[in-house]
Amino acid sequence: MAPNRDGESRDQVRLGQLEQLQMLLNRAYLNVDFYRRRMDRLGLQPEDIATFEDFRRFPFTTSGDLAAHYPYGLFAVPLKSVVRLKITHSRDGSPVVVGFTRRDIQLWQNLMARLYTQLGVTDRDIVQVAYNYSLFPGAFTFNHAAEQIGATLAPSAMTSATLQLKIMQDFRSTVLATTPSFAVHILSTLKAARNGRIGQVKSDLRLLLLGPEPVPDETRKLLHDGLQAEVHGLYGVSEMIEPGIAGECRAGSGYHLAEEHFLAEIVHPVSGQPVPAGQEGELVITTLAAEAYPLIRYRTGDVTVLRETPCACGRGGARLGEILRRTDDRLSIRGIPCYPAQIGNILRGLDPSISDFRLLVHRRFGLGDHLDILVARADGRRLAADSRGADLDQMRSTLRRVLGFGARLQIVAAADLPAPGLIEKTVFLDP
Amino acid sequence: MNPDATLLRVLNVSARYGSIPVLRRVSFHVRTGEIVALIGANGAGKSTLLKVVSGMHPATDGEVLFAGEAIQGGAPERIVRKGLVQVPEARQLFPSLTVMENLELGGYVHGRRYVREHTEQWFELFPALAARRRQRAGTLSGGEQQMLSLARALMAKPKLLVLDEPSLGLAPLIVAEIYRNLAALRQQGLTILLVEQNALGALQLADRGYALEAGRVLLAGSAAELLQHDDIRRAYLGKDYRHKWEK
Repeated sequence: MAPNRDGESRDQVRLGQLEQLQMLLNRAYLNVDFYRRRMDRLGLQPEDIATFEDFRRFPFTTSGDLAAHYPYGLFAVPLKSVVRLKITHSRDGSPVVVGFTRRDIQLWQNLMARLYTQLGVTDRDIVQVAYNYSLFPGAFTFNHAAEQIGATLAPSAMTSATLQLKIMQDFRSTVLATTPSFAVHILSTLKAARNGRIGQVKSDLRLLLLGPEPVPDETRKLLHDGLQAEVHGLYGVSEMIEPGIAGECRAGSGYHLAEEHFLAEIVHPVSGQPVPAGQEGELVITTLAAEAYPLIRYRTGDVTVLRETPCACGRGGARLGEILRRTDDRLSIRGIPCYPAQIGNILRGLDPSISDFRLLVHRRFGLGDHLDILVARADGRRLAADSRGADLDQMRSTLRRVLGFGARLQIVAAADLPAPGLIEKTVFLDP
Repeated sequence: MNPDATLLRVLNVSARYGSIPVLRRVSFHVRTGEIVALIGANGAGKSTLLKVVSGMHPATDGEVLFAGEAIQGGAPERIVRKGLVQVPEARQLFPSLTVMENLELGGYVHGRRYVREHTEQWFELFPALAARRRQRAGTLSGGEQQMLSLARALMAKPKLLVLDEPSLGLAPLIVAEIYRNLAALRQQGLTILLVEQNALGALQLADRGYALEAGRVLLAGSAAELLQHDDIRRAYLGKDYRHKWEK
């Protein structure tokens, strides 16, 4: 087996993980009531975990657990040791707060710096970071890590695609970090520009870093051909860190996992039992190094494959495959995650007479592009005027504010709602 | 030897004094060429852990691998022959023997000829001892005794030098000198495992550290990280910091 990036054999890596795991369990047992109660109920003490097999006795932590202990119930350090808070959502839309100590921040930043380096980014590069910072605080990690390796940072946030292209051209950006959806939008704008509307756009771009949503193959090819740049994905979990848990190398055959900080298991989504090596299942992650917000056997909801075969880049170590799908009904619209239950809660909160709704997801190049929400009211009111009414505008505005993206909202008669089940439409448009 | 190789691997070690558990499934490792510090308050289990490593206290569970070979349960003398040598807490010299005689005892496992050929080497590192080679160890100052204790351990040709509280009871200037000696030994390629209550000094010298509490390892990291760590600073780095912190 090829050694990992630190020249360690597979056995050494696993022993290092076990060492870290025991420390994590000790800290969780001493400092987090939730984990201590769980262990006590099972008659477990941290010292009962001597092997990875023993560790499988430990129950999973779910998104619901995180929401149930909002805000600080799962913190393992006092607030005075926490230097950053990040809000995210559980699968029903309930808020979840993740905390980071100074050391957490530094570790995750180092991981991102390592991912940059692994992709050949140096102090000669100009890194343009085009994310919505409030919806994706992971963008800060892109920024700080770029500065750490001495690259020139251009945080272009969510300015228009036209301005992004101007920045890219004028600043001579060589690296663009953004969501796959926004990258497609930038490409569409670029193509329009090349057709003469805002003149010829020259680009020094050589590397596109995409996350947090997975990058479908067709999108990857489209962006690679359109922007003439290498395209690489990064993997993160918003309840832990994003990006930085895993990232592609230039060989592009999977996401190298930062194994010294994260223990990955692949389990059957229903039984929770480990699946045979190389088979797909739900990714379960334990944050070995996290201090403020340790997560033990956290069900990520992402279905993938874990490979331990050597990569074409020459390194060993575990790699994640592409995220194939979710175990839950999470949607991603222009890179922003949301859940049907969350949308239902928002709608009913705004108008208790709403009895049912359907979501219509329009996809473009395999990515959620926009969302239609069809709503039926219990009293059957369905007038054309409703669709233009002030209350509907109010609902649209609230949805935009809470979800982070605008959705088309339409009130229809209950009888006109499509059959239950998520509806997806693929929109074929030339980008 | 591969410089990145793990020289010492302690895996799942538990130990007790009578019915009282002192170590609860402790795991850590030391790579060749590193200085690793184990820090923690009194009673955390640091010294017991070193005794288990050196074969002077039995582990109730777990493994100690030295250069890939299981050594737990082995006689201390055999462990010394393999190159794992401990400088005990409170020096434990033979006070009525001379400096020279104490040094010779350190190297006895390697035979008289080895002792004859190597004694002078350590006098070069510790010139204060050279001037007192015929003096009884019991009449030396605390710092000199610590240096003699260190030199005696070095006579045993360690691959891994294990030190238990080398700064205990010594004046700051002497401690600084001992740490300088240890840094010089590390430059020569010696691997060092150090237990200290003086966390600041130990972490300034070490490459990595582990923090123990009540027989469990709670934290590990590079020495630089640990020196900046709030919990470590609050717990071990002295009253001044604690006062500032609690304000």
